[in-house]
Amino acid sequence: MTDDDASQSGRPASDVPLDLLKERDAFVRSFLKKGVEYTEQLLRENGELREELELLRADNASLRTQVASDDAIRELISTVDELRRERDQLVQRSKKLEGAEKEQQGRQAKIEQEINDLANLYVAGFQLHASLSPRRVVRHVCDMLGQLVGAEAFVVYLLDPDTKRAVPIAHEGLEETPEPIAEGTGPVGEAILTMLPRISEDDLHGGSLEDPVAVVPLGAEGRGVGAVSIVRVLGQKKEWANVDHELFQLIGHQAAVAMIATNLYEPEKGPQESLRGLAEKLRQ
Amino acid sequence: MSEHSCLVVEDSPMMRQLLVFALARIKKLKVTEAEDGVDGLRKLAGGKFDLVITDINMPIMDGLKLVKRIRSDETHKDVPIIIITTEGSQEDRQRAMALGATAYITKPIQAPQVIAKVKELLVLD
Repeated sequence: MTDDDASQSGRPASDVPLDLLKERDAFVRSFLKKGVEYTEQLLRENGELREELELLRADNASLRTQVASDDAIRELISTVDELRRERDQLVQRSKKLEGAEKEQQGRQAKIEQEINDLANLYVAGFQLHASLSPRRVVRHVCDMLGQLVGAEAFVVYLLDPDTKRAVPIAHEGLEETPEPIAEGTGPVGEAILTMLPRISEDDLHGGSLEDPVAVVPLGAEGRGVGAVSIVRVLGQKKEWANVDHELFQLIGHQAAVAMIATNLYEPEKGPQESLRGLAEKLRQ
Repeated sequence: MSEHSCLVVEDSPMMRQLLVFALARIKKLKVTEAEDGVDGLRKLAGGKFDLVITDINMPIMDGLKLVKRIRSDETHKDVPIIIITTEGSQEDRQRAMALGATAYITKPIQAPQVIAKVKELLVLD
């Protein structure tokens, strides 16, 4: 209590005991001090709260960013999934196309092979009948065997009508000279007699003159007049191709006919004279 | 109009015709035929060729001699030469390559093989 208070209370300040005044001052000072301390504490706490608020604000901002980022990631994942599906579909389509392309290539290779085979057959037939020289016809038969079939060692036999023995008229790739064979004897003789070819499908390289890998009878008008005997084929040839069987048929049915035609032709007369009388024969 | 010309030297008419058949499938390629090495040289002297295909075994002049003669000819010394051999005649093939042959084809001849080799050497599509 101040002097003023004392005066207001109606009592002079000098009337208040000194101890009480001191006590009052001490209390006031203490009170004020406490007030200051309390205020300082409040200010401190306020500052701390502000700091915390700032931190929370920053955290909040960060969380907001994260949420936005998560959304973007989810969107990206969704896009990636979609792209993955598209990629799988494209891979499947690509595989299908690859398969179709392979099929196409296979078909093309097959067609190429067929064209090649047909060309071989055409040329073989054409050349067989393109000459009036027996030597050339036999040469063509040898070419067909060596160049088209891929025979490495072979013999061409013709049946001698008097002795009924198949006589070798041409051969290639043999170490020994082939001997005549009686009709009906061994694979060659039997083929001429029966007109049935004998073609081995096993080992195409291990044949011999006595046991060739293929024997094709040469015939005309349904009768055997000779045979082609393949003893061995070229090393790279592992099996007969389809066209080989066609060539065997061509040789079997047409080589003898071509040989007969060339044998009947007389070069000294020439082609025109050789046809004399044909028109009359056709009229009969 | 032909852009390339090729000389086929082969004594067997059948093989020659087969080669011509195969080569006919190449566009703008003119093919000239020769029956043996001497005939081949005659044809070479009468024109300019971009490619020569020759058999090895031929009468009068074989393929090896022909390769040698072509390589000493000023006009055709750089022309690519394909030789035709059998699988077994490795020695002939080596000799031909040593004499200057560019490539070889083995018998029996397959048209796709011939076409591919010719296109490769003439740099065609």
